[in-house]
Amino acid sequence: MTQTPTALIESSHQHSGLAVRSDLTAAHAHVWEKLAAPGTWWSGSERVAVAEVVRLALDDSDPIPPWESASKSGRLPGDSVISSELQDAVYRLAVHAGTLTEEWYQKMRDSTGVTPQQWVEIIEITVSVVSVFRFAQIAGIGRPDFPEVLEGQPTRQAQPSKPAKHHWVPVVHLEDVTPELAPFYDGLPAVAPVVRALSSVPSAMDTLATLGGAQYIPMREMIDLNWTRGTLSRRQIELVAGRLSAHRECFY
Amino acid sequence: MMLRASSAANDLELDLGVVRGDPQNSDAIQCAPQLTALVDASVNDLESLPEARAALVEATDEATMLDAAAVVANFEMMTRIADGTGTRHPEDRLESMSDMFGPMGLTEFVSARM
Repeated sequence: MTQTPTALIESSHQHSGLAVRSDLTAAHAHVWEKLAAPGTWWSGSERVAVAEVVRLALDDSDPIPPWESASKSGRLPGDSVISSELQDAVYRLAVHAGTLTEEWYQKMRDSTGVTPQQWVEIIEITVSVVSVFRFAQIAGIGRPDFPEVLEGQPTRQAQPSKPAKHHWVPVVHLEDVTPELAPFYDGLPAVAPVVRALSSVPSAMDTLATLGGAQYIPMREMIDLNWTRGTLSRRQIELVAGRLSAHRECFY
Repeated sequence: MMLRASSAANDLELDLGVVRGDPQNSDAIQCAPQLTALVDASVNDLESLPEARAALVEATDEATMLDAAAVVANFEMMTRIADGTGTRHPEDRLESMSDMFGPMGLTEFVSARM
């Protein structure tokens, strides 16, 4: 019998023999439930095709340089439901995100035909897989399989996103907040640009808030510079965050 | 940036070089060598990951190691969101961070969107 997405995550964590926090298991289960289901702009099979490229990219022990085509190198499946140009873009986002430029983004959109909102959803799929797989790898836990694809149509629910000063992608500004975005905007004096980045797709905002709250710090606790779960101090958390970001050459 | 803020909030002296350079134990960051070793192994040397994981557990405990792994996973996420969407800092924030750029070599990054 096929395991549910939640069961895939729970069994991965339980079989490790490690006491993984229940809220972290629940957060990973939540994004796994969404991974193979119809999203906002992509079907379940398209979302899994993106996830498959991310998996292959993360497993690539000798990644190709960012300027070369991963699909032409024979590393990626030739029978994917997404185009080879989009596979290349996903591969580069997965392993060479620090090399992306606005010029690359515009050329990628021209060659793939994806909308900014579709790209935001691709980022959401990518970070879901990266979060679950990298946590498992670093903690020494067997990683879960991908869930079975769920049939159905994407919701295609648009948001009033507008061009943004601090992003390549359009975002929903605070004054245009919709009911779908209210849980992520309400009560906050400001929303950091990196959080607003995904606002054109509320489901992606949900993924970010869910994972960020369990893996790092709940959004509303961010201003407490001494916040801790009782394990890592805030400074230890930020050292790990800064060290990883430097390795990934992420200026932001 | 948040590392500097959380240290300053507690009147602790911190050399931000610890983020990219050799870690040192200090009052500001306990177990910095073990934490940075875990991050470094996870990026550059997967074969040494079990050793780095064990060293952190020995210095702290299993729950702390799991939380460190979760923070790494989180910033694998955040870096891809920032760089995939071309997110840049507002001008006032850039200005307040400018003294960090040189010592940390941040302006050498392709992703330095000023």
